Amino acid sequence: MANHRVGETGLTDSGPSNHHRHIPYAALHGMNVPTSFIHQEGSAFDFGELEEAIVLQGLKIRNDEAKAPLFTPSRPAATLEMFPSWPMRFQQTPRGISRSGGESTDSGSAVNTLSSKTEHQIEPESPNSKKASSSDHQAFDQKPLQHQQHLQQQQQHQQQQPEMASDSSRTGTSQNQSPGKPPQEKRRGSTSEKQLDAKTLRRLAQNREAARKSRLRKKAYVQQLESSRIKLTQLEQDLQRARSQGLFLGGCAGAVGNISSGAAIFDMEYSRWLEDDQRHMSELRSGIHAHLCDSDLRIIVDSYISHYDEIFQLKAMAAKSDVFHLITGMWTTPAERCFLWMGGFRPSELIKMLISQLDPLTEQQVMGICSLQHSSQQAEEALTQGLEQLQQSLIDTVAGGPVVDGMQQMAVALGKLANLEGFVRQADNLRHQTLHQLPRILTVRQAARCFIVIGEYYGRLRTLSSLWASRPRETLISDDHSCQTTTDLQMVQASQNHFSNF
Amino acid sequence: MHYQGDSWGFYMPMRSMGSDPMERVVKLASESAVVIFSVSSCCMCHAVKRLFCGMGVNPTVYELDQDPRGKEMERALMRLLGNSQSVPVVFIGGKLIGAMDQVMASHINGTLVPLLKEAGALWL
Repeated sequence: MANHRVGETGLTDSGPSNHHRHIPYAALHGMNVPTSFIHQEGSAFDFGELEEAIVLQGLKIRNDEAKAPLFTPSRPAATLEMFPSWPMRFQQTPRGISRSGGESTDSGSAVNTLSSKTEHQIEPESPNSKKASSSDHQAFDQKPLQHQQHLQQQQQHQQQQPEMASDSSRTGTSQNQSPGKPPQEKRRGSTSEKQLDAKTLRRLAQNREAARKSRLRKKAYVQQLESSRIKLTQLEQDLQRARSQGLFLGGCAGAVGNISSGAAIFDMEYSRWLEDDQRHMSELRSGIHAHLCDSDLRIIVDSYISHYDEIFQLKAMAAKSDVFHLITGMWTTPAERCFLWMGGFRPSELIKMLISQLDPLTEQQVMGICSLQHSSQQAEEALTQGLEQLQQSLIDTVAGGPVVDGMQQMAVALGKLANLEGFVRQADNLRHQTLHQLPRILTVRQAARCFIVIGEYYGRLRTLSSLWASRPRETLISDDHSCQTTTDLQMVQASQNHFSNF
Repeated sequence: MHYQGDSWGFYMPMRSMGSDPMERVVKLASESAVVIFSVSSCCMCHAVKRLFCGMGVNPTVYELDQDPRGKEMERALMRLLGNSQSVPVVFIGGKLIGAMDQVMASHINGTLVPLLKEAGALWL
């Protein structure tokens, strides 16, 4: 993992493009880089320097064909040196890692970087010891005098050289050197090498500077990330707090902040009503299970009906202050809102649902329920048509006539909007009457069971809404596909039907 | 309709017209099986009309905004019902049923249809 980190972040702040370039460069580092062993300077990677190194490399190749890759580890190591946070103990491991890494071809360059990185771990510790000497050999010799670890590392380094070379060759970069050449030979001074030392020094100094700068940048970036993370968690906590408060004020609606006071009050009372509903439901259930006598059960059933009366009264008051809140269903959950009719449930749909759930019914009861459903449907239809006429009238007003007097137009429109309250009240009245009619048709026990069914049904709709709200978003894509397939199927079936007519 | 009294203009007191608006209401209500007092622009009145038509009933509708004495009748109806809304008001068989509230309730609890049948407005 550290490998990849190195690979990704080794090169200053150039971003992702550098990542891709890093590997070839790492491979490139397998080439003979004709610098002295003063790579211990711990310099950061510098492309300019690399180009120079390549040029020098070519020079070196011409001069000395059989040079084993000396500096192989250092270049990538130089980049790695930007992570001083890495523990020193890491240096001890490289030998094994690089050896084993040498066997894997696919991560050849990575191995390069790893081993070279480990090599370079030495660097940060003793920068001052890495003095460029005119003779590489001298520098090489100086190390053991100053640092034991360096000696170890160098031995590792030397041992690794052949492997490095072979690794590099495997990565496919051109290798002119034969493996196995001890680094010391490379360090035996040739005149060109001595000339290079000054350049090397300059380059190394520049590398050092660049490394330092990128270290500072990295530190700043990490600090920024940390502070952002803290800020994010704080924001999340604030949001949670606000949401819970908002929910308390706004019921189960999500629109905190966009809510009128009348609506907010209603939402609060509605959430209290929902809690009461749970209590009534459990009373009904225990009443049924306890096989209470009819009169006792009737008391519970009646109290449940008056519990519903309460919510209709609350809605009537809310309709006075904010009818839009009721009629748009912002006080309900999304799944309930989907089936919303005039600010609440549609009584005929509820009865339809009940017929299937209240199975042991006498014929008379079935007829009673069906006629209730029928009348409810007629009433709903009438109210719907009335509302449609209101909407049409409102459209005409808002669209304006040939002479549009803004304020007058608005006043008329406002007057028409006031009628909305009447429709919501009538719809609630219909619901209220329907719920009252049910226990007249059913026995007490059946009525109790019926109200349990109703309560559970809406409870499940509310649960469905919250599950839907927290569903994972990736399924959206698969949903689209499945929708496509169903419509395709429908189209195929439709065309088949068409042909079957002939 | 054109009463002789109309030509006297606006200065004649209502009583001399011969009918108290409430009396007129009651009189009109008893003339048909199902009577709806309405205002043409009122949407709730439209809903009530649709309800009866949907049931197959053919109600007699008086649009009070189109009646010269409609305003008084509206006031009378408001007093009768104690509502802020004067219309719609429904009479079946000359008997007052009420506003939309009561009509709906009556329909849901199953009393509306027998009343309609009794008044001869609805046949099976």
